Amino acid sequence: MRIPLSWLRELVDVQLTPEQLADALTLRGLEVRGVERWGSAWNKMVVGELLEVVPHPRADRLQLTKVRIGKDQVLEVVCGARNIAAGQRVPVALIGAHMPDGRTIERAEKMGVASEGMLCSGAELDATDDGDGILILDAKAPLGTPLSDYLGEDVIDVDVKPNRGDLLSILGLAREVAGITGAPVNYHTRSITESGEKISDGLSLSVDDAGLAPRVVLRVVDGVKVGAAPDAVQMRLKAAGLRSISNVVDATNYIMLELGKPTHAFDRRAVGDKIHVRLAKRDETLETLDHVSRTLDGSDLVIADERGALALAGVMGGASSEVGDQTSSVIIESAVFAPTSIRRSAQRHSLRSEASHRFERGQELDLAPVAAEQVAALISAWAGGSVRAGSLDSDPKAIGTLRALPFRPARVRSLIGVEIPSEKQASLLASIGIQCSDVAAASPVQVTRTRTVHTEKGSLLLASVPAWRRDIEFEADIAEEVARLYGYDRIPPTLPGRDLPGYRPQPTTLRDLLRAQLAAVGVNEAVTHALVSEELSNRHAEPIGLVSGELAESEGAASSALLTLANPLSVDHDRLRRSLLPSLLDRAEANVRYGAQSGALFEIGRGYGGGSSGPLEWTRLAVVAWGEMGAAAPGESPRLWDLNEMKRVISLLTGVADASPRYLRLVVGDSTLLHPGRSARIGGDGIAGLVGELHPGAPEWREAPRFILAEFALRGLSAGLQKVRKVTLPPTTPPVQRDVALAAPDGVAVGDLVALAREAVPLAVRVELFDLFSGAGLAKGERSVGLRFTFQPPQATAFDEAISDQLAAFTTSASKRYGTQVRGAEAE
Amino acid sequence: MELAALEKQLRTLQAESAKKIGAAASLADLEEIGSSLLGKKGALTDLLRGIGSLSADDRPKIGALANEVRAAIEAALESRRAIAGAAELSARIADETEDATTPGPLPAFGSLHPIPETISAIAQIMGSFGFTVAEGQEIEDDVTNFQLLNIPEDHPSRDLWDTLYLREPGRLLRTHTSPGQIRTMRAVEPPIRVILPGRCFRYEAVDASHGFEFHQVEGLLVDRGTTLADLKGILDELARGLFGPEARTRFRPGYYPFTEPSVAVDVSWGGSRDGWMTILGAGMVHPIVLENGGIDPETHQGFAFGLGVERIAMLRHGIPDLRAMLENDLRMLRGLR
Repeated sequence: MRIPLSWLRELVDVQLTPEQLADALTLRGLEVRGVERWGSAWNKMVVGELLEVVPHPRADRLQLTKVRIGKDQVLEVVCGARNIAAGQRVPVALIGAHMPDGRTIERAEKMGVASEGMLCSGAELDATDDGDGILILDAKAPLGTPLSDYLGEDVIDVDVKPNRGDLLSILGLAREVAGITGAPVNYHTRSITESGEKISDGLSLSVDDAGLAPRVVLRVVDGVKVGAAPDAVQMRLKAAGLRSISNVVDATNYIMLELGKPTHAFDRRAVGDKIHVRLAKRDETLETLDHVSRTLDGSDLVIADERGALALAGVMGGASSEVGDQTSSVIIESAVFAPTSIRRSAQRHSLRSEASHRFERGQELDLAPVAAEQVAALISAWAGGSVRAGSLDSDPKAIGTLRALPFRPARVRSLIGVEIPSEKQASLLASIGIQCSDVAAASPVQVTRTRTVHTEKGSLLLASVPAWRRDIEFEADIAEEVARLYGYDRIPPTLPGRDLPGYRPQPTTLRDLLRAQLAAVGVNEAVTHALVSEELSNRHAEPIGLVSGELAESEGAASSALLTLANPLSVDHDRLRRSLLPSLLDRAEANVRYGAQSGALFEIGRGYGGGSSGPLEWTRLAVVAWGEMGAAAPGESPRLWDLNEMKRVISLLTGVADASPRYLRLVVGDSTLLHPGRSARIGGDGIAGLVGELHPGAPEWREAPRFILAEFALRGLSAGLQKVRKVTLPPTTPPVQRDVALAAPDGVAVGDLVALAREAVPLAVRVELFDLFSGAGLAKGERSVGLRFTFQPPQATAFDEAISDQLAAFTTSASKRYGTQVRGAEAE
Repeated sequence: MELAALEKQLRTLQAESAKKIGAAASLADLEEIGSSLLGKKGALTDLLRGIGSLSADDRPKIGALANEVRAAIEAALESRRAIAGAAELSARIADETEDATTPGPLPAFGSLHPIPETISAIAQIMGSFGFTVAEGQEIEDDVTNFQLLNIPEDHPSRDLWDTLYLREPGRLLRTHTSPGQIRTMRAVEPPIRVILPGRCFRYEAVDASHGFEFHQVEGLLVDRGTTLADLKGILDELARGLFGPEARTRFRPGYYPFTEPSVAVDVSWGGSRDGWMTILGAGMVHPIVLENGGIDPETHQGFAFGLGVERIAMLRHGIPDLRAMLENDLRMLRGLR
């Protein structure tokens, strides 16, 4: 809401500078977005006095003028306007002035006569809409004064919150200023002189549903001459951010800004004799003022006559009854409508107007007749005409009353935490028109809509809330008023020192450890969009069932059903991702384009999908790495990210998380991201996911650097729980190692062999792959698999045999299951 | 053998030994010389074999002399060893010398993203006041995201949140972390002290300070007799924790349907060039919200606050454009290490 300060000053005395006022309002909760000087762009423009106006010797359309702009300064200016005469004061743009339309005033020859500036019209100044003649200033306008000082206006822009519809008016702001300075609000209504003709002659009003339109008031002004509003009015509206339309429409807008009460003016000739406020008929049509033909809905409230809808109530008038040049008589409609109905209509028709904005926030019943009368007064002042006697009023008894709201000053003190005595609370509230008194009888305190509390009357005060403060409903609302009037800055900070809650595990404990570990080994944390495009989301989805059992319960199981937005901002972000990998790869690729030939990114985030009983969210950790792992020393060759290095990182993380990974053949191929021959499923205890190199068919694929990808669920990632490991103290005997080399036929997965070894040799505390090769001495496709078993014998003896038995069981069963042969065995 | 001849031989051995030792070049040579003179088969042992032919009177004389010669040789060896050892050490040092002033290869530097890092910083600060982290769901319903927070359908306050809706009826992407207040109050008995960080979504055009995805941290404290002054105290500490001990705060009335009284908090510190920067909204939990959370507003009071993580991160790290946060440019991320 833009408030021209000269207007505010008409209603309340303001001694503060605009900046001081802005600060004071902001600290009161009326956030001032900005303070500006409307008209400050008028530099090199001054008030001048026309000394002489004579016809141009060589051009009929032009006149020669002498303009005094200072004691001894007289300019000769050529002017094309006809409305000027000697003695008038006018705005003069001097040489070098920049006009709002971008022109710069230069010394010019006009048909042989030099012009030393320009006399300006209101339109040229962007001050009024009048482009036909020079803007004639008040005869007392001080000569030579810069125009921005004389016509300019201080404007403060207040961010009015949705609960304070009363502040969408100069009057509402004036009340707040009065509360700050103690000055009284002086709102003097303009009086009207009514003619002999009665409004009820030939016009009637009916309202179908008083719930939707609690009060409707009509007034009629006859004999108006529609034209431009006075210059000062146009400028004031412009400073407030509204366009000037005509004297009649400007009158309605002026009162809307002044009182916060929108009204509408109809051309009497285009309206029948029976005004009817009703719901629209199904499929009834109405062409609104913006010349859009709208099909109405049975829940749209309309102002109609016997022929049909004239206006969408509270939102916008109709084109057929628009006030225009030919209008000679107008009907002013000033009504209060149900806020919800207006909001729904405005939303349904995507038509938010200054009027609907105010109606949605509620209106004061008493203002319906007041605004009708004030608009009538302004129309007759600005457009002539006479106001018909009386008004049509749907419900003169519908008036705003003071609402009695009992509250406990002690409760207010306990909410704020400052000992503000009851009398002080009462006087603070009184400063903004909320009078307090003692209660006559014990009355219930409204804590919430459904909760009331009974208390002794001695501990209560009764607040009388004026009708315009529709936002004050409960005791807590009174507490806020007291706090803000007392001043938030005066409340001393304290630390809450009461009971502390009991222990709760932190869900971020493990995540923060993992993040630190990843950063320590050169992986950079990323945050990418959860909302992605169709293309990105289709590139990869976690296979259903990959994460199952206990891990699915804690980290969430993926679903393949896409969740799509009903109202996306763009097709690039119209659905929720199922996997983090496509977004992360997208960022990796962008980094390569930015020149990062090496890098590594990780993200811990959520995937989303539809489930049978509602949407699902799951938590995953994803890594994409490419190129070199850190810089090599001079002369050395760097290590490159590959599947093994990624597995090393995974082992680092599972070590922290107390999980142990196993790598299994990838069976599901629902991914265009992973290299079918260089990827694996991550299984094992407490972890499930995928790891692999980027598919050579992917658009991001390059010979080098290669992208290595992994995404997995990890126990504790979302809940933060960490298992505490138990240790057994090592015996004094040294560990024993046994190496077994097997020849594995083509196609046997080493992961399977390792899994079998772990299962068949439970005595081993560790099973590692220490050697893997093919070629010399082996058949084509055959590989030599070297496994190292580490044992920790409890005592020096009687263990060898058990070890040998288990190793033999392993080699036998590996041979049976996978056709391997023992190439050698060695004990350390 | 005669005493005099033996004595002469011993003296000669001593003199020759001194010469040999003096000429030795390395510790290894000295070792060899030492054993050739004093070893079991060495020259001294050899000479003393002739002692048996001496008279009983002469024997102690030769014994004394032999000890003297042995001591002299040992002393000569020792002093020569010190010299040769030092020389060898110097030679080794000279030999092994390289330029140790090269800058050294860098490890692969990783970094932590400013959004989770800021959340982590807030969690750490609030943790010292007994607040623990809880995380809610990002896909919410209209009831929890709005209605239970005292934002009824068709209320103009809905204009404060432009919402992204899923095609599933009634489902939306949470516009703020505030629904976590309801979920927490329904799950946990007071006293409650939690922070609820997470991703939020709004139907909002992207520019340097807005995005359709962003992160918030909600704070909630519910206890008996909690006051607005307590809220000021905690938020003062949070501001100092985030922006340093010089940070000053300004509290002014704000508007949120789910708090009453409501507060807007501005902060000013050495790094803020434009005076007061608004960093968060807060207030005393509205009695209706407490009630919706299953807590009696007559026995309990509480405060809540919500802050925008990106804004704090931008202020703390001097990131001028919000869009850079989701760009994940390694050149920026590594700069945050």
